[in-house]
Amino acid sequence: MAPPRLTGALRSFSNVTKKEDVNDQLYDLKAKRLKRQQLFAREGLTWKKMVHLCSEPQDKVKQHAASQELKSLLAAAKQIVGAEYGQEAIESAAVFLFQTFHSKDHVGTEETRATKHMFGPFPASAAESSCATVTRLVALLGDSRVENFIQSQSSHHDPQRSTSFGRNITFSYDCYTLDPLEDLPCSSFEEESLNLSN
Amino acid sequence: MACARVPLDEQQVTEPGPLGKERTLPALHPDRIEDRCFMPYKPPPAEGSAAVEEFLEHSRFIAEDLEWLLALPHDKFWCQVVFDVSVHRCLDSYLHDAPRGLDLSAVSSSPAVADMQRSVHRLVFLTFLRMATHKESKDNFLTPAVFGEIIYENFLFDIPKILDLCVLFGKGNGPLLHKMIENIFTQQPSYYSDLAETVPTVLHVFDSILDKCGLQCEGATAMEPMKLNEHKQPTAMTMSQQELVDIILYLCDSTTTIHAFLDIFPPACSSFHGFLSRLPSFYEAAIPDLEKALKKRNFEDKALQEDLWKRVSHACRKMLETAHLLLHNTCLQPILDGKENIQTFAEELLQHFTSFLPEKRFLVDYDELFPVADDVSLLQQALPVIDETRMSYLLQGVESAWDSVARRKPQS
Repeated sequence: MAPPRLTGALRSFSNVTKKEDVNDQLYDLKAKRLKRQQLFAREGLTWKKMVHLCSEPQDKVKQHAASQELKSLLAAAKQIVGAEYGQEAIESAAVFLFQTFHSKDHVGTEETRATKHMFGPFPASAAESSCATVTRLVALLGDSRVENFIQSQSSHHDPQRSTSFGRNITFSYDCYTLDPLEDLPCSSFEEESLNLSN
Repeated sequence: MACARVPLDEQQVTEPGPLGKERTLPALHPDRIEDRCFMPYKPPPAEGSAAVEEFLEHSRFIAEDLEWLLALPHDKFWCQVVFDVSVHRCLDSYLHDAPRGLDLSAVSSSPAVADMQRSVHRLVFLTFLRMATHKESKDNFLTPAVFGEIIYENFLFDIPKILDLCVLFGKGNGPLLHKMIENIFTQQPSYYSDLAETVPTVLHVFDSILDKCGLQCEGATAMEPMKLNEHKQPTAMTMSQQELVDIILYLCDSTTTIHAFLDIFPPACSSFHGFLSRLPSFYEAAIPDLEKALKKRNFEDKALQEDLWKRVSHACRKMLETAHLLLHNTCLQPILDGKENIQTFAEELLQHFTSFLPEKRFLVDYDELFPVADDVSLLQQALPVIDETRMSYLLQGVESAWDSVARRKPQS
C-alpha cells in the first residue's frame, strides 16, 4: 500500500485537480502485449516480403527447402503466439522471430526476454525450434543477403531516435534523503526503558 | 509534418483520413494520436521473483513508450500528450506511486529493478520537461498564451503534480525544475490562484495530524464544540503502532514536499505566507508529543524506533527551513533588495518573530539553525531607524526561550 502523502490529500480534498474518470480504460500486460504485436505488424518487415525473399531466383531445391522452413517457422510462431489468434497474428509473430533469431545460434537471455516481452510466457521448445529454423533458413539464403534484407526493411533505425527530446540534458538521479536535526539519543531510549521497567 | 515558423496551435496538416482520403485538419487534433495504450506505473515490488519479473516487464513497456513519445516530432508529441488519456494515466500514476527517497523501502535490492526504475524516472522527468516547454526551437513552438491554456485546461500540470515533481526530481535537478515551474506559472497565472486555494488544504493536513494525535488544533477548537467522548481520543502514546508510523510518514512527506517546492520555486512563498502563523504552534504541539511517544513506547523493532525518530527529526528540520524560507523570501529579501514599503516588510518580520516567542521549543530549534540575532542585525543595517527597545525585547525573548527549555545555546 502506498504510504500517506501530502499530494494524495491535496488530490482528494482540493478542487485543483482533475477527478479520475472511473470509465478510463486501464491496460494490463496482456492487452499491452496485443497492442504491441499490432504495432509491430505495421512496421517495415512483413511476412509477404519474407516469402518474396525466399522465392527470389535461386535453385529450386533451395527454394523448396526455404519454403519448408517458412512453414516450420509459422508452426513455431503459432505455438508461441497462441492458436486462438488468426493467421495475420501468427505471420507477424513469425516475422518477429525471424528478426530476433536471424543472427543468433541459440536462444539467449536477451532473445528470451524480447520474446516474452512481445508474447508473454511461451514454450521454450517453440523458441528453440524457431531459432533452429531461422538458422537453417539463413544458411539457405545467405548471411549477407538476409542482413541486407533486414536492414533495408527494418524501421528500428528510426531517424527520430537520434533527435529524441532531452538526449543532451544532464539528469541527476539524486533524491531527497533523511536529514535529521540530531542523532538518535540512544542513551535516552535506554534510560526511558529502564525507568519504565523499574 | 506540420509547416514551420507558425505556432503549432495555428498550423494545419493534410493527412490521409481513416478511409485513406486526404483531409486537412488542425495540427493539434485528437485524430492524429497513435493508439499506443500507455500503461499505468506500478512501484517496484518488495520481493518475490514473479513480482520482480512483472515489474520489469511492465516498466519496460512504459520506458519504450516514453522513449517513443520523446522521439516524436513536436506536433505529434503535443497531440499525444493532450489527447491520449493513457499518457495522462501513465504519468499521473508515476507521480502518485513512484517511491520517494524518504520512503521506508525506497531502494530495491535487485540491480535490474533499480536500473529499470532509474530509466523510467529519467524518462518521466524528460516528458514533463518537454510538456513544460512551449518553445523547443525557432520552428517548433506554441503561442505562449495557448500553451498556458492547454496545460491548464487539460490538467497536464496541476498543483499536486508540481509538488510531486519537486519532491521526486528536485534534489539534483533544482535549476531545471525552477525553469519549468516558472514557465508554467508565467504562461498560466491561474496556477497562483490554485496554489492559494491549496494552502487551506495543506493546513488541514497539519490539523488532521494534531487531531489524530489527540491534540487540539487552533482553528478547529475555536469553531467546533468539544465532543463528549473527547477524552477517549487516542494519543501518540495510545494509538496503534501502525497509526503512529503512518502519522510520522505523513508528517515527513508533507514537510519535505512543501519545503522542496518552496525551495525550488521561491515565488510561491507569498501564497504560503499564512502558513507562518500556523507552523510554530503546530511544531510546538506535535513534536514534543511525538518524541515522547517514540521514547516511551515499547518498540519490539528497535530499528523502526530509530528510523521513526530520524523521520520526526527530519520533519523538524524541514519545518524550520520552511519557516526560514518564508521569512526570508516574503520579508527579509524585499528589505535587502531595497523594495518599496521597506517599513511594512520590517514590521511584518518583527511581528512574525514576536509571534514565535510563546512557542519556545520551535523558537529555540529555529534559533539554533537560523540565529534570530543574525536577521535582526541585517534588519538594523538595512533600517537604522528601527525601534531598539523592540529589538532587545525580541532578543531577550529568544534568550529566555533557551533557558526555559533548559538547553544551552551553541557558541557561535
